[in-house]
Amino acid sequence: MREQVLEKASGEPLQAANRELTYSHAIREALQLAMRRDERVFMLGEDIGVYGGAFGVSDGLIEEFGAERVRDTPISEAVIAGAAIGAAVTGMRPVAEIQFMDFITLSMEQLVLQGAKMRFMFGGKASVPMVLRTPAGSGTGAAAQHSESLEAWFVHVPGLKVVMPSTPYDAKGLLLAAIEDDNPVIFVEHKLLYRTKGHVPEGYYTVPLSQSEVKREGRDVTVVATSIMVPRALEAADLLAQEGIELEVVDPRTLKPYDADTVTRSVCKTGRVLIVHEAPKTAGFGAEVAAEIVAGEAFDYLDAPIRRLAGLDVPIPYNRELERTAVPQVADIVREARALARGEY
Amino acid sequence: MPVPVIMPKFSMTQEEGRVMAWLAAEGDVVEKGDPIMEVETDKVTMEVEAPESGVLRGVAVQEGDVAPVTAVIAHIVLPGETWSPKSVKATPVARRVAAVAGIDVGDVPAAGKVRRQDVEAYLDKVRATPAARRLARAQGVDLTAVNGSGPRGRVQAKDVVSPVVVSPVVEEKVAKPVSTMRRTIAERLTQSYQTIPHVTFTVAADMTAVTELRQRLNAREDAEKVSVTAVLVKVCAWALGRHPLVNASWQEDGIHEHTQVNVGVAVALEEGLIVPVVHNAAQLGLGAIAAQMQAVTARARNGRLQPADVQGGTFTISNLGMWGVEQFTAVINPPQSAILAVGRTSKQPVVVETAVGDELVIRPMMKMTLSVDHRIIDGAVAARFLQDVVTALEQPDTLLW
Amino acid sequence: MPYQTVTDERKQIETSGLTPEQLLEALRKMHLIRAFEEKAEALYALGKIHGTMHLSIGQEASAVGACLALRPDDTILSTHRGHGHCIAKGAEPPLMMAEFFGKEVGYCRGRGGSMHIADVAGGNLGANGIVAGGLPISTGVGLSLQMQHTDRVCLTFFGDGAANEGAFHEALNLAAIWRLPVVYVCENNQYAMSMPMKAAFPIRQISERAAAYGIPGVTVDGNDLLAVYEAVQTAVSRARAGEGPSLIENVTYRWRGHSKSDRQRYRTRDEVKEWQARDPIIRLENLLVGADLFTAEQLADLGAEARQTIEDSVAFAEAQADPDPATILEGVYA
Repeated sequence: MREQVLEKASGEPLQAANRELTYSHAIREALQLAMRRDERVFMLGEDIGVYGGAFGVSDGLIEEFGAERVRDTPISEAVIAGAAIGAAVTGMRPVAEIQFMDFITLSMEQLVLQGAKMRFMFGGKASVPMVLRTPAGSGTGAAAQHSESLEAWFVHVPGLKVVMPSTPYDAKGLLLAAIEDDNPVIFVEHKLLYRTKGHVPEGYYTVPLSQSEVKREGRDVTVVATSIMVPRALEAADLLAQEGIELEVVDPRTLKPYDADTVTRSVCKTGRVLIVHEAPKTAGFGAEVAAEIVAGEAFDYLDAPIRRLAGLDVPIPYNRELERTAVPQVADIVREARALARGEY
Repeated sequence: MPVPVIMPKFSMTQEEGRVMAWLAAEGDVVEKGDPIMEVETDKVTMEVEAPESGVLRGVAVQEGDVAPVTAVIAHIVLPGETWSPKSVKATPVARRVAAVAGIDVGDVPAAGKVRRQDVEAYLDKVRATPAARRLARAQGVDLTAVNGSGPRGRVQAKDVVSPVVVSPVVEEKVAKPVSTMRRTIAERLTQSYQTIPHVTFTVAADMTAVTELRQRLNAREDAEKVSVTAVLVKVCAWALGRHPLVNASWQEDGIHEHTQVNVGVAVALEEGLIVPVVHNAAQLGLGAIAAQMQAVTARARNGRLQPADVQGGTFTISNLGMWGVEQFTAVINPPQSAILAVGRTSKQPVVVETAVGDELVIRPMMKMTLSVDHRIIDGAVAARFLQDVVTALEQPDTLLW
Repeated sequence: MPYQTVTDERKQIETSGLTPEQLLEALRKMHLIRAFEEKAEALYALGKIHGTMHLSIGQEASAVGACLALRPDDTILSTHRGHGHCIAKGAEPPLMMAEFFGKEVGYCRGRGGSMHIADVAGGNLGANGIVAGGLPISTGVGLSLQMQHTDRVCLTFFGDGAANEGAFHEALNLAAIWRLPVVYVCENNQYAMSMPMKAAFPIRQISERAAAYGIPGVTVDGNDLLAVYEAVQTAVSRARAGEGPSLIENVTYRWRGHSKSDRQRYRTRDEVKEWQARDPIIRLENLLVGADLFTAEQLADLGAEARQTIEDSVAFAEAQADPDPATILEGVYA
């Protein structure tokens, strides 16, 4: 591994061995390494320069790379996406940021009808190596137009890849893999994860796309969780372990193309599965996970109905308690997983 | 009223039967008592007789198909009656439910008029998880016979078999389809082995006296040949009479000691094995025992067993001596409480006490292992029973006592 | 339209800096576009081509005049009415026709068809089924070219309808603030499907909108090859020099309906005839003959030659293999 001296925004040097970084810093470090490594990589988005990004992710990057490569844009989500596509198809490797996933609705035409399809429409004779980073999710009190979890929309579009890391380690490795990838990748970050900490090795490494990971092994119930629901599921697993119930927590990490095999293997072992995500349940990604389980090898190993624990079919409300109620919490996961383990479903 | 022809129940454990052949066809005139079909159960193939004289109508089960016991599978239309499928008695609600489900209400087994509950019971498929179904397939377990522990009685994997290491196999060869008999054996043995705490006791008997006895008896020209097994049936029947706990069943409400001593003998068939029963064996002479065993075995090999041939056993003997097996343990045949596994007779050096001291002699020795239901039978009971069996074999005149 | 004198015409050509050979080649391309589209229309009527198509007959000077100002290594983005742009940028008619027929050797391996025809190697990033869909992308291409420190430019065609999409505003604004080397060429053919330009805009000329972005905006006669060329040439030079984007409005007219299903209730036959009298091909021929560069006889066979080239292209395309259905997923992901 190359020796890298990395600095936090405050300027204090980071410990080399076993160091911990926040999810937000891990993403920043990935951006930093990618831009150092490859001149074609640049960033564009709203308030990512001196402001440092709405959530501080790109803090300090403009100082190192300049306004040329850390480009503040006007509030123009369609052209942020479109400019990334146009630059990507002509030799650059842009990393665009859409400030809130909610605003991606304003980029949809460019992402879905242009970027996703361009390579295919042109008979495979062009490629669009770009990443679109965007923070999703509720829990900040920002209410219905700043809390969306729209990942399933993009999973449904051929030509796009969708990545959703849950840990600082994965965030860095997956972002570097996404930047290396020759396809448009929607990289969904979670606002509540930005401050979470975890081990992040120094230097350049990638976590391969399309590889689900078992975050915790257990024999009783498989919990398939994405993004913020992964730490919640792990917390639930700790609590249930005291009752003698062992959860196996699987994090798909890449939703498209989705590695169903890891979940299949896990379900073959446990026979019981709980799928947890923040986005509303109806036609959410969990439906795809469930369908892959029943349509494949794992079907014959199911020993209980597949349970889905997901956001309610409701816009994210403002009131703190209502907001918590709208999406799965640790106690909900504990309750559902326990009932599954006890054969109550 | 047309008289229903039902799938008869031939044994307590039987849940379905397969129509092997119709001996009368739709529209045939039959006399009461005429055989009208052949039915295969898990144990036997039986002829079913016409319950009344009349015309056979409404044959609902084809040859080769299976129907649950007591299901109406045809009707006999009596002289002067007309046949229409509507003559099945059913409540309007039952008819509607049946129609919605796309079944003929006449197919629904019912005691008298078909009611809504009957139709619903008939329609109720086995509720079982995919994992339970997979295990049941692999192990030949009939899910309808399994009590589900899940919500609303759903059968879960653990109900089919208790802790099995489920390996995440991605490939699985298609299992060989199993016969009804094999399936029944699998279920019964699994149930027995899982629910009955087995304890085994092995003894050896000096067979000198039995050998001499058989030589004398079998020398008679007019008599059935007496096998070691026949002698064992006689001996065990006698010993069982002296030890009623070995001739008992563990039931929910307590231990049932049987008043009859009916000794079953395991007989190997190509498809598995059956256990013909010698009823009231203690009251029969060796000749009668031998004759009965031969007749039943012959019927079993021809697939013509009568229910009585295999029902009502209270104890079982399994003799593999003729195959050279030294000794083995057998799994109890529920609801019985014990089974005797008999090995071969072979010449062994034996130390015998004489007036002049110990002497080494050669004797034909036979080992027997008794498996008992430890819920009923303590070690001492088993030991005393075996002691009597050995004594009777070594000194057959004990039986005259 | 009043006829010009010989000296006027000569003067005009000299001012443009175009050689007689370049002009003759431009005329050939206009004929080729006309022939291609007329044949496409006929093939459609015969049921040999499915889907739909948007014909640019009558607009040839806009496509050819604009591309005449570009170098081969420059990039264009096209529209749903893109056959002309494709030919003008240098695409091979047989490979275009093969794409029309959905053949494997077509420019897009039969995956794109008329509405997505692209010649990536030739610098054409494709026709586009979405009105204004190419505008943000062209801004990105401009960004890319600028960041790679080249003097290449990106030229994007769009219609009058696209100028009322939000993407138009976002794309031009970003290109303007970053001074990107992009030339935005609006082909104002008077109707956004059925919506007349006059009803859809509160301004007389679409180029007036350039003022909102602080960039040059110019409106030219889109049926006048030289006028189009000169306007685009000026914008291209500006872009190459790092001075940023420009907006050009080519006023022209589509002779055919919007697409194959257009009953054209929104305009009169007289109006169409009036515009057909301003045929850009005849206009260029008159210019060349009037300037005494070529005789009428020298130009007489160009139309027939173009039609023959297209006939040959059809024969080529029809003989090609369809894509193997087993390859359907190829190109979804890199």
